[in-house]
Amino acid sequence: MNFPKLSTDEIKKLALSTMGFVFLLYAYFTFFLGPLNRSRHDAQNAIADFQHKLDTSKSEMQKATNLERQAKDATARFATLKALSPEGAPIAWFPPRMKGFFADEHVDKAAARLENNNTFKETELAAWTKYNWLIELPQCDYVAVGQALADLENAEPLLSIKKLSIHTVAEQPQFQQVAISATTVIEKR
Amino acid sequence: MALHLNLLHEEILEQRQRQRDPLKIGVLVLIGCGTMLFLYYLWTAYRTLEIKSRLGNVQREWAKIEPKVTAAQKHAAELTNMVTATRVLDNYIDKRFFWAPVLEKISHCVGPNVQLTAFDGQIQEDERTVSLMIEGVAAAREPRSAAEDLRQMLREQLEKNYHDVKVEFKTLEDAETFANLGGVRTPMARYSISATFKTTEEPKPTPAPAKVKHKTESE
Repeated sequence: MNFPKLSTDEIKKLALSTMGFVFLLYAYFTFFLGPLNRSRHDAQNAIADFQHKLDTSKSEMQKATNLERQAKDATARFATLKALSPEGAPIAWFPPRMKGFFADEHVDKAAARLENNNTFKETELAAWTKYNWLIELPQCDYVAVGQALADLENAEPLLSIKKLSIHTVAEQPQFQQVAISATTVIEKR
Repeated sequence: MALHLNLLHEEILEQRQRQRDPLKIGVLVLIGCGTMLFLYYLWTAYRTLEIKSRLGNVQREWAKIEPKVTAAQKHAAELTNMVTATRVLDNYIDKRFFWAPVLEKISHCVGPNVQLTAFDGQIQEDERTVSLMIEGVAAAREPRSAAEDLRQMLREQLEKNYHDVKVEFKTLEDAETFANLGGVRTPMARYSISATFKTTEEPKPTPAPAKVKHKTESE
């Protein structure tokens, strides 16, 4: 193949043109096509991201619906347990409640006082607090106390008696003096 | 053979040289490449716009669903917390120790010749061990024997429902005073009984897996 003989001037022009062409290609890919491709890739990634979110959201919503169906019993149970403690500070309602309860059980002069309160170690019960009470029954009958304790333990599922002390009253041997250390679990309000 | 004369030889040569002009060819190639690159740019721009439009649609769809999803996720988390809390609370309720049955058992043990003066009961930190301290007096011809009867009866009663029952005297001593039972001076003894028991059975250690003897080649 015979190439035409080029003059020096033509070679210079050709070299300059080649350089210009290379620069043009560089500018084209860097400043025009590059940003366009980047933008397209970003959009594609964003679409994939959103699509993944959309796909998982459907399963999340389905999961919530299933969970709601399954947790029907637990919801009712939880509501019952919550309803055991009324609104307001426990110190305001627990002592009168105990006084009323023991009065109904024919045990008079019942007094409850708060000793302390503390939180649960279990993270599941972070929204609940333990209240330690001292319930004093200064004058009562052993059988009546036994009956009252049985009723109390059955009526208050979130109450547990930790310590029980029954002593005779020196001057009135027919009566006993009772001290109950009880713990109640009450939801934080 | 026909004679072929080319009278325009020089003109044709010039024309050929003009056609082979590298600058012209270069410009033509440049224009061709430029057109191709421009078309490719347009095609890429079109695809980008199309993808952006799709992105806009997906974003709008997500914006519609997102509040529902967030609410559903929050609700699911609340439900999960509630279910777990209920389970833990139920476990707490089930593990409670009931004192009324213990008082009933003690009342069954107290005969006409013994009297209780103090009862102290406490559930230990492990929520399984219960300790009782019972004090009282026994009045009989053999007051110590009456107190021992109470101790044995108490142990029998507690063993019916609890585990690892231990009932023992802390003190048992004759009183200096006498009780008047039906006009009869009866000797008295003061006792102090300590009882401990567990509400649930002690978990038994799992037996170690039996060693498997591997036969050696010599066997």
